Amino acid sequence: MSALLAVLFLLTAASGTAVVLVRDPGRQIFAIAANGLVLTLLFTALQAPDVALSELAVGVAAVPLLFLVALMAVRAGRPEAGSGGDEA
Amino acid sequence: MSHAMDVLPYAVAAWLFAVGLYGIASSRNLIHLVGCLSVCQSATYALLLGLGYRWGSVAPIFYDHPPGTPAVDPVVQALVLTDIVVGATLTALLLVLTVQVYKRGGSLDPETLRPMRGGRTPDSAPTSGSKAAP
Amino acid sequence: MSPRARLALLAAAGLALLPGAAATLGGLPAFGSRIAEYGARINALVPGERHVANMVSAINFDLRGLDTLGEEFMLLAAITGTVVLLRGRRGEGMTDRAMRRPGRAVRPQTEAVVLACRVAGVLTALFGLYVVLHATVTPGGGFQGGVILASATLLVYLGEGYVGWRDAVRSHWLDAMEGGGALLFALCGLVPMLVGAAFLQNVLPLGTFRDLFSGGLMLVENLGVALAVTGGFTQLFLEFMEETRAADGPEEPGEDSA
Repeated sequence: MSALLAVLFLLTAASGTAVVLVRDPGRQIFAIAANGLVLTLLFTALQAPDVALSELAVGVAAVPLLFLVALMAVRAGRPEAGSGGDEA
Repeated sequence: MSHAMDVLPYAVAAWLFAVGLYGIASSRNLIHLVGCLSVCQSATYALLLGLGYRWGSVAPIFYDHPPGTPAVDPVVQALVLTDIVVGATLTALLLVLTVQVYKRGGSLDPETLRPMRGGRTPDSAPTSGSKAAP
Repeated sequence: MSPRARLALLAAAGLALLPGAAATLGGLPAFGSRIAEYGARINALVPGERHVANMVSAINFDLRGLDTLGEEFMLLAAITGTVVLLRGRRGEGMTDRAMRRPGRAVRPQTEAVVLACRVAGVLTALFGLYVVLHATVTPGGGFQGGVILASATLLVYLGEGYVGWRDAVRSHWLDAMEGGGALLFALCGLVPMLVGAAFLQNVLPLGTFRDLFSGGLMLVENLGVALAVTGGFTQLFLEFMEETRAADGPEEPGEDSA
């Protein structure tokens, strides 16, 4: 049990670092989802099934989806021609 | 091994917070920055749940185990549980602000952000003042 | 401030804080050695006092119910802020109509995808309801179940397409769920005061331990949270999706045929 928890904590540190170091937002979404999955496993091992369920629904599904859609919105909606230009 | 395990969870929490902060300070993309903020947030989860854990204890749900079985701390779990869900909505709010910044300024790089000047852009007019005035 | 200067400042601040952080880490109780007395007391007393098996739900909805009320309104405020930002730009009149970007091809779903999404959507919704209802017995509750229920509506999007999703999920229903859930929670606090009890005091019959209907007032509060979280997250998904569609102003055809 001790070794399992140690490995999961180290994995959490590694996946959190990966979220920071992956600079391209499109790829970062996968790092965020992986981080959510590792956190879910960690919470399960820490005897927190309630928190793990919440992290599974939020961290693996909802938050990456929001990031994905925000990225799509940025790519789809180019800034208005003209109004952004003369102001900047 | 066991001595290292005594502080490992807290060290991981500190590392996550520090690396998230580094990401925020060095980020060149606002969407990436929001992701780094969520790493800072996960540091609090690791710290709180680490503080509430006890070796050989069961989850604080007395369905399969009779009440009285040694269980881990439920208070920190309740804190983290609500924080995850409410934090996700705040992430959504930040992402929307990011998208708005992009639509107004045309860039996601925090270095190129300019202070907003109210009421001068043509597209900021319908959201506030001028519609109510006449 | 240049990026280099900012990182230098961050490193200096980190170095200055390092001794304090190290001392704090060393001073914390060794991992896994003991838990706080408050939690231990709750584990010992609450199953008998409140007849619920899930201590986390008991803390969220009963012992620290006031904190959850605050969280509930934080949730409401964050979602309201998001919706106001998006709709204020888009115009309130467009809320119930599916917008379509000109020039984007609409590909019909294959029958296999539609079938899989219909089956999985119903199952996900059922699982979400199960998680919500068993809040006081097994791991789960309004927060987790609400997010699962909101994800189930996304399967409608995947299976039926965007227009079908917008027809099935009405924005003003979601507003009502979101606000109604928060109102229900607030009423759970106020109604006990009418009968002379304290704010959020658990005045309903507590039920039997390990039974689905145990916990009294907690069940109502849990329902309020589930309504607010389901409505709120579905609203978030909906407004975000709409944002990728919102074509501001006339678009040149062919510009966005990606």
